[in-house]
Amino acid sequence: MTSNGRNGKPKPFEGLRVTDLSWVGVGPTVAKYLGDHGAEVIRVESATRMEGLRRAGPFTNNEPHYDNSGYYANFNSSKLGITINLKTDKGKALLKRLVAVSDVVTESFTPGSLKKLGLDYEELRKVRPDLVMISMPLFGQTGPWAHYMGYGHVLQAASGFNHLTGWPDGEPIGTGIAYTDFLVPHVGALALVAALDYRRRTGQGQYIDFSQFEGAIHALGPAILEWTANGREAERLGNRDPEAAPHGAYRCKDGRYVVIACFTEQDWEGFRAAIGRPDWTDLERMRRKWSRLDEQKEIDRHIDFWCRERTAAQAFKAMRDHGVPSGIVKSPEEMHRDPQLRHRGHYAALEHPTMGVRTYDSPAFRLSKTPGGPTKAAPLLGEDTERVLKGTLGLSDDEFTELLVEGVLE
Amino acid sequence: MSDRDDSVPLPHPDGPLSGYRILDLADEKGQLCARLLGELGADVIKVEPRTGDRTRSNGPFFRDEEGRESSLYWWAMNAGKRSVTCELRSEAGRDLFHRLVAGADAVIETSAPGTAKDSGADPRTLAKVNRSAVVVSITNYGQTGPARNLPATDIVGSATGGHMYLNGTKERGPVRTAAPQAYAQVNLQAAVGTAIALYARGANGGLGQHVDVSMQESMANAMDNAQQTWDILQINNRGPGSGRMVSGREGPRYIYEAADGWVAALGMGGLVGPSSGAMIDWLDETGEAGPLTSPHWRERLAVVQPLEEDEQKLLVGIMERFCRTRRKDDLVREAQARNAGWAPVYSPREIVENDQLAARDYWVQVRHEDIGETFVYPGAPWKLSSTPWRQRGRAPHLGEHNEDVYGDLLGLEPGEVAKLRRTMVI
Repeated sequence: MTSNGRNGKPKPFEGLRVTDLSWVGVGPTVAKYLGDHGAEVIRVESATRMEGLRRAGPFTNNEPHYDNSGYYANFNSSKLGITINLKTDKGKALLKRLVAVSDVVTESFTPGSLKKLGLDYEELRKVRPDLVMISMPLFGQTGPWAHYMGYGHVLQAASGFNHLTGWPDGEPIGTGIAYTDFLVPHVGALALVAALDYRRRTGQGQYIDFSQFEGAIHALGPAILEWTANGREAERLGNRDPEAAPHGAYRCKDGRYVVIACFTEQDWEGFRAAIGRPDWTDLERMRRKWSRLDEQKEIDRHIDFWCRERTAAQAFKAMRDHGVPSGIVKSPEEMHRDPQLRHRGHYAALEHPTMGVRTYDSPAFRLSKTPGGPTKAAPLLGEDTERVLKGTLGLSDDEFTELLVEGVLE
Repeated sequence: MSDRDDSVPLPHPDGPLSGYRILDLADEKGQLCARLLGELGADVIKVEPRTGDRTRSNGPFFRDEEGRESSLYWWAMNAGKRSVTCELRSEAGRDLFHRLVAGADAVIETSAPGTAKDSGADPRTLAKVNRSAVVVSITNYGQTGPARNLPATDIVGSATGGHMYLNGTKERGPVRTAAPQAYAQVNLQAAVGTAIALYARGANGGLGQHVDVSMQESMANAMDNAQQTWDILQINNRGPGSGRMVSGREGPRYIYEAADGWVAALGMGGLVGPSSGAMIDWLDETGEAGPLTSPHWRERLAVVQPLEEDEQKLLVGIMERFCRTRRKDDLVREAQARNAGWAPVYSPREIVENDQLAARDYWVQVRHEDIGETFVYPGAPWKLSSTPWRQRGRAPHLGEHNEDVYGDLLGLEPGEVAKLRRTMVI
């Protein structure tokens, strides 16, 4: 992974080594950014306390096995994998040796866990003074909730996403996924890369106390200010938007949905043309956006009727041909076949020793001169233990065998 | 928490990105990106047309009074930036803009692919002006590909990025989160791309480069394991409402109504898996465990395994009855004490009133000396030990920093600035 990227172009993080102690979704995704852009990321795991996602599906061939999880794989592209039992003294010493030759440590344990092991930032900086380390549990290192456990499914509840998802006449619903697990890694990675940039220029490392909760709140847009400045609470809106009409997702003849969003009068004129300028669109109360906003129910009824007679592809084509912001709600299957994502090479196909060729998410950005992207499938559990310990840390065959026999490398 | 310094923006010499200058030409897809970089220390200059950036008219508005300086959207996304006006449609305006680019480290723009040239902000032109500048172009679908020219807004990005398919219910179809998440996602991922490109100058002979960011791809990255579930099992996960869907199998609901709102309790609140014993004990203590105290149930629930429909129904019923009579914060505190990962479903007000955030001194008071008031804004997303995050003060008025930037920074004489104003360049 130290070789140059595509077309021999340099990779931004070439030469950086990352000890990735994190697990599940958020931390591994932060470290994936570094690995996908050229850093040597060494994911440290243990068979004695298995990473949860190795036990979570989907599994290839529907065979549950810790080396078959697509869930785990996607977060861990471009990484090496080693196993160390950090509960053993020799394991702790080994980790310190690894950190001494690393530039970055990433971790997402419950606050206090690493301190108990004698492996917190204060200890690790003794072996690597210019270390950049980021801790990223749900709620940060301090405070009454610091020890609270949970996943993205429940953090999205605390950080407002459930409250803001669903229909005004209905209950809060999930966003369907462990949403914050796919939001806050970007926030964490931003601070980490900024700290690395600072270190590149000054030589100084530091510690980052990242609370996923505190990061997620920045994705709520003006909802916080609407409360603190206006004393009003943002609520669930279904698919409406306070500033667009029409605005929604409409069911078509083939059961698929098309979304239509008209923010400007130009959008509206395009929309009128797309549906053949029926009489209702010419009514006085439909002519200006501010009055149309009060007529959304009626507008939606007309569009529902129009869409019922068309496939989603036909409805979308009509909107597209008239320049109206519109799109089809795509299923995972359609995403994989989407010509745009294909053109962009968004899903990287990588060969994994037991899972075969599988698709991995790529970053949403392309760098023109130092391109990144997944370069290697996720590691098997402990796949690179011997290579890293002997190659990077210089352990002799005897030393390695001794650790192996003593269970330090489990 | 309050800051007595009145300057707008507040200085931030200690941030990890202090010393960098970023020009922000962005709309909804890039303003948060630029703001976060500013709060890490960069000097962010918002470049606006003389009539003001279009997003100044995005609601909601302070006290519902529409105006160029009263958009809460504008406040939230542009806090701590400087603002200059510059008409990029005129040649003199483009020349002036290029003088700013000459001293900038990054330019963030969101124009439709192929149109940046008209405003002199395309990567090729900018590279000629400043070879070390990073040019970040944030668009709906990216700079290339068959969809590159399609118009889109947040809901379109949520739809074509696949996220809406997973967000919704069987009965009512897909739904969007009311706080626009396609915009949030593309901003945050663009910020990472910008930071990586800035870092890459160290590995790349100091050269800048073009960062091509796609809103659709940013949402595609937010599909949990649905992407792999299709790839591996050829199954489409879809909107499970208040439940959860894993590998094509819909799990029971995890959002339950409490006496004063809702709580999120994954895996039926821990009734399934290693914490089940503790949860059954809790229900037993209050006399609400029903049949779950039997050895059969204790054994059955201790290991995570698929439940039959009637079993699910029984457990969900117990959870619903248990939660409905209790307050959500009490439920969460007690569940967490028993090692079950619950959390309350919070509204914006409840987030602002939350104890954990107060204990971490999260919120910042932002002075709006122009209207004589101070408001609470979200605080540090991270605590960096050497180079702290800092909120930089309120959002700028239109052209508030024309003198500072064109005079002090570019060194134009007052007469020259006056002429730019007279000729409607600024």
